[in-house]
Amino acid sequence: MYLKTLHLRNFRNYPDQKVEFSAAKTILVGNNAQGKSNLLEAVELMSSLKSHRTSRDRDLILDGEAIAQITGHLRKEMGEVDLSMTLRQNGRRSVGLNGLNLRRQLDFLGTLNMVQFSSLDLDLVRGGPEQRRHWLDSLLVQLEPIYAYVLQQYNQILRQRNALLKGVQKSDLSRQNLFSSPESMSESESSSPSELALWDAQLAIAGSRVIRRRARVLQRLVPFAQSWHQAISGSTEALEIRYAPNVELVDDNPEALQKAFLDKIQQRAIVERHQGTTIVGPHRDEVEFTINNTPARQYGSQGQQRTLVLALKLAELKLIEEVIGESPLLLLDDVLAELDLSRQNQLLDAIQDRFQTLITTTHLGSFDAQWINSSQILEVKAGQLVRMV
Amino acid sequence: MEAKLQVGFCSVCFHLSAEPVCDICRAPNRDSSTICVVSDSRDVIALEKTREYRGKYHVLGGLISPIDGIGPDQLNIHALQRRVSQQKIDEVILAISPTVEGETTTLFVGHLLKPFTRVTRIAFGLPMGGDLEYADELTLARALEGRRDLEFGSR
Repeated sequence: MYLKTLHLRNFRNYPDQKVEFSAAKTILVGNNAQGKSNLLEAVELMSSLKSHRTSRDRDLILDGEAIAQITGHLRKEMGEVDLSMTLRQNGRRSVGLNGLNLRRQLDFLGTLNMVQFSSLDLDLVRGGPEQRRHWLDSLLVQLEPIYAYVLQQYNQILRQRNALLKGVQKSDLSRQNLFSSPESMSESESSSPSELALWDAQLAIAGSRVIRRRARVLQRLVPFAQSWHQAISGSTEALEIRYAPNVELVDDNPEALQKAFLDKIQQRAIVERHQGTTIVGPHRDEVEFTINNTPARQYGSQGQQRTLVLALKLAELKLIEEVIGESPLLLLDDVLAELDLSRQNQLLDAIQDRFQTLITTTHLGSFDAQWINSSQILEVKAGQLVRMV
Repeated sequence: MEAKLQVGFCSVCFHLSAEPVCDICRAPNRDSSTICVVSDSRDVIALEKTREYRGKYHVLGGLISPIDGIGPDQLNIHALQRRVSQQKIDEVILAISPTVEGETTTLFVGHLLKPFTRVTRIAFGLPMGGDLEYADELTLARALEGRRDLEFGSR
């Protein structure tokens, strides 16, 4: 797919800016805080309805304005698509396809596909498990937009269940203070235990959906990641990627998984009641990377970690292309300068002209000449774009 | 303003009512062996518009939501249990939205009433005029769950 134009109105620091993408690669060059990343953020929003930089829509609207608008014209194999998105101070959004407003935001997802690679991703290996879960979830939403709903349901059940456990913990504590005998705190409220059981059941059903989808996407991604990793590292290193769900997945059977989920909740019931929070479920999942049988997180050198992240990103491109049947966009936010020349070239070879690529950088100096020669170069200055010759 | 002052809740079903017992509960021609359980008075109004339902109602006054401090005790659930256990009720229909909170409330009320009577829930599925091909998989799964035998009646 190819994003032909993008039009930002009152979005971040852009009062009114049209962009026409005239080459497979576009380099946005400019000093810090001029609006380079804002432009990529607009593309990210059109793709995922989310920004990795903020969760409040008012941050996305130009100061003093009531609404911001993003529109884009996308060429896909089945035809051209007009995307539009309106953001408001109060957080209410409207999205539209081909001039038609959509009742459900979910139907907007999956239209524009992209892989994002920013300097933050370099922490994917070293950072906390929530970063890896988030990475996996974002990929899943691209491949199966309904997953956005599945995950949101799980999180809502989790919040409700946590609130209930907090309440139980509080009443346990106050009872302890009153009678100072922890034995007397047994189920005196008739309704509370069975209410918890209902949330348990819902958590297990929704959680199993999350686990199975995460397992499935990793299973498909791993072979691509391994072959890229081999290519980049020159076959010297063996990469293993393992999904480590909090509730262990025994063959792909939903009923067995739900049962294992509920069993584990039973086992941890006392701890959960004591801590007042849910400790069983996919919100505690982990993805483990090992290189030559050593955990990449603790022992990988910075160079190894970069090679790994690059391999993951290229694998994402490949997987989305295979599943969707079209090449996604690639957004490289301030990351190329972080890669050495040989990795830059490997990336260039991999994407060639098959993937439309938007690149931001503060200076062109660190780029290989072949990148610059084949790219459209735009200069970003205080919310305005200038074509460079 | 006057309406606001006068309107209270029906003492039987908790629907909005100016009288102590609402019109629906008092109607002699309605089937009093069937109770439709909803979360809100607005749902009663929506269901009444269909003119398909001739039984009585019970308004819970919300949904179970621990985040908002709403448990079963904050809803009109005990009154419902009394109604169902003390009167001759043939069927209770749960008509509650399939949200996370709605699902929990449906299950809770269902468990509570099952010993006394037949409990059913409304089906969720495809919108009228909707095309199977364009339905999302969760809606389809729901619709499949709520499937029923093909009837060749006079409908």
